[in-house]
Amino acid sequence: MSGYPPPPDVIHGRVAWIFGDDFDVDLIIGVENIKYYDADVLREVTMKAYDPHFVDRVRPGDVIVGGRNFGYGHPHYPPLVALRNLGVSAVIAESFSPGFWRGETYNGMPLITAPGITDHVQRWDPVEVDWRKARVSLPATGTTLEGTPPSERVTKIIEAGGSLRLLLAEHRR
Amino acid sequence: MIDVPQTITEKILARAGGVDSVRPGQNLPFRPDHMIAYDFPGYTDVMFRQMHEDFGITELAEPERYLVFIDHMLTKGDAKERDIHKVTRDWCEFYGVTLHEAEGIGHQVTAELGYALPGRFLIHFDGHVSGLGAFGALGWGVRRDLLEAWVSGQIYLDVPATVRFDLTGQFRPGVDNRDLIHAIIGRLGADGCAHQVMEFGGPGAESMSIDRRQGLCGMAMFTGAVSAIFNPDRTALDYAAAVARGPYEPVASDPDAEYSSRHTFDLSAIEPQVVLPGSARSANTRGVSELDSTEVTKAFIGSCASGRIEDIRSAAELLRGRRVAESVELNVVPTSAEIHRQAEQEGLLDVLRSAGANIHTSSCDFCFGYQKPLQPGEKCISTGVLNISGRMGSTKSEIYMGSASTVAASALTGKITDPREVMAS
Repeated sequence: MSGYPPPPDVIHGRVAWIFGDDFDVDLIIGVENIKYYDADVLREVTMKAYDPHFVDRVRPGDVIVGGRNFGYGHPHYPPLVALRNLGVSAVIAESFSPGFWRGETYNGMPLITAPGITDHVQRWDPVEVDWRKARVSLPATGTTLEGTPPSERVTKIIEAGGSLRLLLAEHRR
Repeated sequence: MIDVPQTITEKILARAGGVDSVRPGQNLPFRPDHMIAYDFPGYTDVMFRQMHEDFGITELAEPERYLVFIDHMLTKGDAKERDIHKVTRDWCEFYGVTLHEAEGIGHQVTAELGYALPGRFLIHFDGHVSGLGAFGALGWGVRRDLLEAWVSGQIYLDVPATVRFDLTGQFRPGVDNRDLIHAIIGRLGADGCAHQVMEFGGPGAESMSIDRRQGLCGMAMFTGAVSAIFNPDRTALDYAAAVARGPYEPVASDPDAEYSSRHTFDLSAIEPQVVLPGSARSANTRGVSELDSTEVTKAFIGSCASGRIEDIRSAAELLRGRRVAESVELNVVPTSAEIHRQAEQEGLLDVLRSAGANIHTSSCDFCFGYQKPLQPGEKCISTGVLNISGRMGSTKSEIYMGSASTVAASALTGKITDPREVMAS
């Protein structure tokens, strides 16, 4: 079962990293590590190719930002496990790859599609995310971006802390 | 009630959702006709345990809607294989679920055994189930959400919009569905059909055999699509009539159905395409002539996206009376046991053996680097579905992708080769 609690109504954090278009999440930990779930192993390899000190700089509530088609490729689960272990609380992107979107929604990760996001943020900008409304507020510039809110079903999944928890609440015999 | 024009996908989902019609963007629960999995450690064994222990399910209301295949991890014969398959057999027996073991790649066997009939809705955790769109069925890969369907009998999905592809002309010799999908990605991009269904129609679509349609639809995910589908024509209906188990209701798109966009592709203008190692994104897609000095050491024909009788015929035609280059190992895996038998009967496998190819029993094992994994430094040309780093073995090997014809031609010369050059020589 997903070991992460549901997100707060509004996520307060910073932009911990900004990825480009068609980003393959396996690169977050390196393709040679995509079968590891061990938290210590993942911490050792997370974001090393991008910022060797990432794991020490990121704080709970921080988010990552992606370009178009975030999660493209053949996404495995450990890269997002690695980020969530560090407290990363949401992904905001121009758009998401369908396979990634489905897999991480199942795991209860708020994924916010916010067209224009990559033009409006710089690393470490503060950010507020009202995930139910797909509303992203950027206090540094006073900008607010709004995407398409999640369906009622997906809202329930995120509120439950993932699909498995919701299904257990609904269907356990 | 006003009749709203619908696409084939919308009609299938409306029936599965128990409603008159659906609109793109609606989120509703749908009832799949079949809910499919292949056994794989970390996937099915976890689901089996969850259903029994976490959900307390000891009996299934409709076991006939569940379908399980053993098509991965069949080629080592070690304890790990025996353990995972035993868990699967025990689970299927306990719940009365039909298990198909070592009959070939499930996405193909599902069709051969008459589960993928026109109008049906099938889900799987694996996205290549989209290949069943060849039959006018909707196959949707839902990843871990398969559990939702397995415990509740239904699955919540967003109704996808449809991108229409009007195909004209016919493939020229040496060119096929594999080149078409990469040409589509090249033009529209890796997210060109994101969250939507690709619908193929027009005279070019009707000219394609079932094998070609399956191979095309099975690669839909690399355009970002959630599935792909053909409206059932005589070719698909004949196939369905021959294999059907139980009733089915073919449906087709209304002429005035709404599409999010339309694209025309002239099949006769498609050139052989090769994908550079890394991923099938458009920036990695090339005409074969741009790579014709690239040396390869391994060549593979198989997977759920190839290895069907037409692919094997194409390869055999190119290799008849010829010999694979000394520097290359060519491995051929028919997509199912049935295709293997047919290829043997047609004498195609003998042609390939005489050319120096290794023929293997049908399974998924080559495509994901389990059987004869690539070693560091090796370069493979493959009809497999993926060429990400490490997919077929070492992360220090490289995988190029192309059609069965391009793989056969490249195996012959030891470097990436335009099959039309071999055909002309």
